[in-house]
Amino acid sequence: MILRSRQTLILNLAVPILMLIITNQAARRGGGGFGAGGPSLMIALALSYGLLSSALLGYSITVARDREAGVFQRLRVTPTPTWAIMSSRLIVQFAAAIVTAIIVIVVGGIMHGLSYGAGTYLLIFAVAIYGAAMFLGIGQAVVGLVRSSTAVNALGRVLYVVLLLLGILGISGALGDTFTNIAKWSPVGALMTLFTAVQSTTAWTSDDGWAIVAIGAYLVVFAGIGIRWFQWEAR
Amino acid sequence: MSTPSEQSQGRHASAPEGAVLEVADLVVRYGARTAVDGIGFSIARGEILGLLGPNGAGKTTTLSVIEGLRSPVSGSVNVDGIDALRHPIDARARMGVQLQSSGFQPELSIEQLLRLYAGLYGVHLSRTAAREALDEIGLEQEASKRLKGLSGGQAQRFSLLIATLHDPLLLLLDEPTSGLDPQSRRSLWQHIEASRRQGGSILLTTHSMEEAQAVCDRIVIIDHGRIVTTGSPAELIATHRADPRVLAIAPPSPAPRSG
Repeated sequence: MILRSRQTLILNLAVPILMLIITNQAARRGGGGFGAGGPSLMIALALSYGLLSSALLGYSITVARDREAGVFQRLRVTPTPTWAIMSSRLIVQFAAAIVTAIIVIVVGGIMHGLSYGAGTYLLIFAVAIYGAAMFLGIGQAVVGLVRSSTAVNALGRVLYVVLLLLGILGISGALGDTFTNIAKWSPVGALMTLFTAVQSTTAWTSDDGWAIVAIGAYLVVFAGIGIRWFQWEAR
Repeated sequence: MSTPSEQSQGRHASAPEGAVLEVADLVVRYGARTAVDGIGFSIARGEILGLLGPNGAGKTTTLSVIEGLRSPVSGSVNVDGIDALRHPIDARARMGVQLQSSGFQPELSIEQLLRLYAGLYGVHLSRTAAREALDEIGLEQEASKRLKGLSGGQAQRFSLLIATLHDPLLLLLDEPTSGLDPQSRRSLWQHIEASRRQGGSILLTTHSMEEAQAVCDRIVIIDHGRIVTTGSPAELIATHRADPRVLAIAPPSPAPRSG
């Protein structure tokens, strides 16, 4: 489990670090990065995708695979409560989310020349946990609705790409106002808004507050679906 | 509690004194299909009971209710006096379970799995103790391997070791020798017998009469979710020897050589 988590962590960090490098290069060439958000938005984007890949490409795929292999059934015949079986996995995911947040924020800060106070770091970690919970809820919904590990793998990757493109194209404003609004209130968009807000020294806007509400709503809905329809057996 | 008429219909196998497991009037349905239809039986301390029947008879479903993996429509399951349907965790602490498929974490080595499951059963197992336990079942050399690196017989022996780590009162074995060659099967039977000598009671499912006869003290034959008959292997053979539905098929004997 630890070995698998370590490999997953490295894979989860690859995309956000790559995003930071690309946006840093773009900023140096005078492109100014994506949209008007500047470096904070770029770091928010990288943080959001680090958490997203951990949930969709890590959590949901391993849960589906272990379910198919009968690992859950094996654990359930021991005196371990079922809540402990799932909690142990979620704790690892939340720990991975915090490690991802630390590495991305430190690397992003160095690359984009930003520094934060202790309070900001704490807020970033709190948002990372909140965002991780939302993405894990989405991952749980995927394994709740789809039984086959192959199908979960495929659906997880498709969702990842869709949400990735939605975020990048949305903040670029390339596809018009309607699309930008959809992207802004998508799971990735809402989380990026919140990550950007906690990095900023200016007062919070109503959009920031609504982002908290939107993430909470996504969490409740998707986790609810995922828990309601989750089956311990693949058959 | 079953009525005398139910017992005469073979719906409840007789309850021995000091039962470790008591199953009564169990009914399990999958949608409209009734998989288990009023099954009841008991197992005494130190007894090996075999649930014998063809595929789809309801053996594994019965076992999964006892293990707490499935909820019945009605009926009761008591393990050492504990209501296993109401207090599944307490009941599981008294049970050791070997499932049909191994279902162990593929990324862990044999030794890591052994120590992990020992911990889940509340047994502290040092690295040395784990190696010694593996040595007892001939797997000390395989300690650092993954489960997929073991043969079928080795994997089953390992699975049985996990199931008996905490010296359970009741051992549940779901087709433990399925897919094994005769040598591995006999070796596993010896390990099952050794578990019983340590005082445990065993419930095993099988579709092999040979296995049931070799290992079990008592057999409950089930089909279509109902108990067909019950008794010791010798009793069943004596009772049904003359049954015209019992067929003996033997290969033709070689023709005598001339000269």
